[in-house]
Amino acid sequence: MGKSNEDSAVWALKDINLEVHQGETLGIIGPNGAGKSTLLKILAGVTPATRGDVQIRGRVFPMIELNAGLHPELTGRENGYLLGAIMGLSRNEARRKMPQIEEFCELGEWFDRPVRQYSSGMLARLGFGVALNVESDIILIDETFSVGDLKFQNKSLARVRKMRESGVTVLLVTHSLDTVQFVAQRGILLDKGRIVNSGTALEALNAYESLVFRLEQQRLGPPLRHRISSGQITLCRARVYGHGRELLDEVQAGAPFGIEVEFHLHRELHHPVFSIGIVNASGILCIWNVSQEDGLIRSDVSGICRVSAWYPENSLMNGAYEVHFAIRDGSSFETLDRLAGIASFAVVGSSRARGIIAMPCHWQLESYDSK
Amino acid sequence: MKTSTLRSRLARFFTLLLALVQRDVTTRYRRSMLGPAWAILQPLILMVVFNLIRGVVDIPSEGVPYLIFSYSALVPWTFFSNGLMYCGPSILSNAAILKKMALPREVFPLAGVTVALFDLAMSGLILLGMMVWFRVQFTWALLWLPFLVLITGALALGVGMFIAALGVFRRDFVFATPFLAQIWLFATPVIYPLSSVPEKWQSLYMLNPMVGLIEGFRSVLVKGNPPSLETLAVSTAVTALILIVSWPMFRWISQYFADVL
Repeated sequence: MGKSNEDSAVWALKDINLEVHQGETLGIIGPNGAGKSTLLKILAGVTPATRGDVQIRGRVFPMIELNAGLHPELTGRENGYLLGAIMGLSRNEARRKMPQIEEFCELGEWFDRPVRQYSSGMLARLGFGVALNVESDIILIDETFSVGDLKFQNKSLARVRKMRESGVTVLLVTHSLDTVQFVAQRGILLDKGRIVNSGTALEALNAYESLVFRLEQQRLGPPLRHRISSGQITLCRARVYGHGRELLDEVQAGAPFGIEVEFHLHRELHHPVFSIGIVNASGILCIWNVSQEDGLIRSDVSGICRVSAWYPENSLMNGAYEVHFAIRDGSSFETLDRLAGIASFAVVGSSRARGIIAMPCHWQLESYDSK
Repeated sequence: MKTSTLRSRLARFFTLLLALVQRDVTTRYRRSMLGPAWAILQPLILMVVFNLIRGVVDIPSEGVPYLIFSYSALVPWTFFSNGLMYCGPSILSNAAILKKMALPREVFPLAGVTVALFDLAMSGLILLGMMVWFRVQFTWALLWLPFLVLITGALALGVGMFIAALGVFRRDFVFATPFLAQIWLFATPVIYPLSSVPEKWQSLYMLNPMVGLIEGFRSVLVKGNPPSLETLAVSTAVTALILIVSWPMFRWISQYFADVL
């Protein structure tokens, strides 16, 4: 399935081959413009696929744009009936469900006031309240969990879990990766209209994070930024390498790596002092090593030189990083050059990226008898 | 598919239709002073205007008081033109709903015509009062009314679906609707009798499906005669033809609505 205006135009989705079984919860993730919402719209039957076909067993309920169709002059209750009719509830069903909806929305007396007076959070609660009380076999959820306060979000998640337990198939598009990890069993990663990864939710999430880190790394990568130079040095090359001194763009989480800088000195340098810092994508300095402190003592150097730093223990968390480099004359304390972003790399691995560093952790749980 | 039997689909269609009509009828006048009286005022104001014009220009009325002669035609005419007006932008104004759920899109123009039906019922009350006042004889010919209303509604729906579907792609179709209605009004014997149309133009004139319908309404309401079957047959046939073309066209175009809106 896929869609486009012409053959030469960009396909929002292409070669999508996807099977979801009854009762499964599938998380659909990917960068902006990957085609996630288009996929949901095709599954909802709102937009036809240009090619290919979709087979659905059961009643599909798309929770897309929940507030679409609300009329500002109608009260919350009247809008509830209207939304119910749009979502396929019969008049009697809607009447039976209305107390439940009213209770779920927590709008109190506002439920009988025109919705034009509502705040955006109240509008969202109304839409969500109706949507979550419609019974269907398959629900498509698009970015809707960010509505309301934490309490309402938890309530909504609990309702979705209940639906899942009763055999409802859930397809979930969201940028909240934690929601995917905790709610979905399976995940697919969409990028540029194609499924680039499909597996357990965690596998898809890891693939997504690696994808993001690679993109970030490209953004971070040279050309150099913030260069402060004395003009007495020319930087030739900087690279990240692995065990076999092979060039690396990506470092496996926990695997040792090194950073090597080649430069050309235009004068003689006494007691050179090098420093290398590693900064993550949000600009936090993760490590900063100074050659002198780490035991590299040399008297005089000149001409073409190569300095390298090897990290036998890599505790960096998955993410994108850039390398900062500075060189000083140890006797005059004069800084010859200070460079931000001489190289960049991504750390990828199978765990979720949280925090700044990765450390092994052993958990333990003990429970004591309260009696 | 478990739930998409024809019956449940129809039930769903009518639930939605009812909800949309209810929304439009209740919200339209909610913040106005005169409220639903506007539905009555519409043909009434037109009637006053045409009666003033008649004071200057001589318009024959086939021996019937001109007030009831014009009003008995203006009421069904307003139903038709309101139907067009509500149908035209119905897809555009319900874009948010259309983009969200897979619904039978015919429900939106149909809701437009149904709302016009409410206006018709309101202004029909005034018409009834006038008929009593002018001592118009109530005859069995009045039994033709439901059929006449049905065909008029179907015609408004047929033309309205054209405007609604094409209006999604080019707004011009929606903007042109009031002018279309205006021109159509003068091409229909609403404020003048059919007999004042020159003989040689008559056969072409009769192709306008509203001619037979308005004549039918007037004949049934004021003159107490059944409508001329010949002209009514032409109107019905033309209406059917318009629907046969516009409905499938609407269906076909409707699959692209969500992409364009």
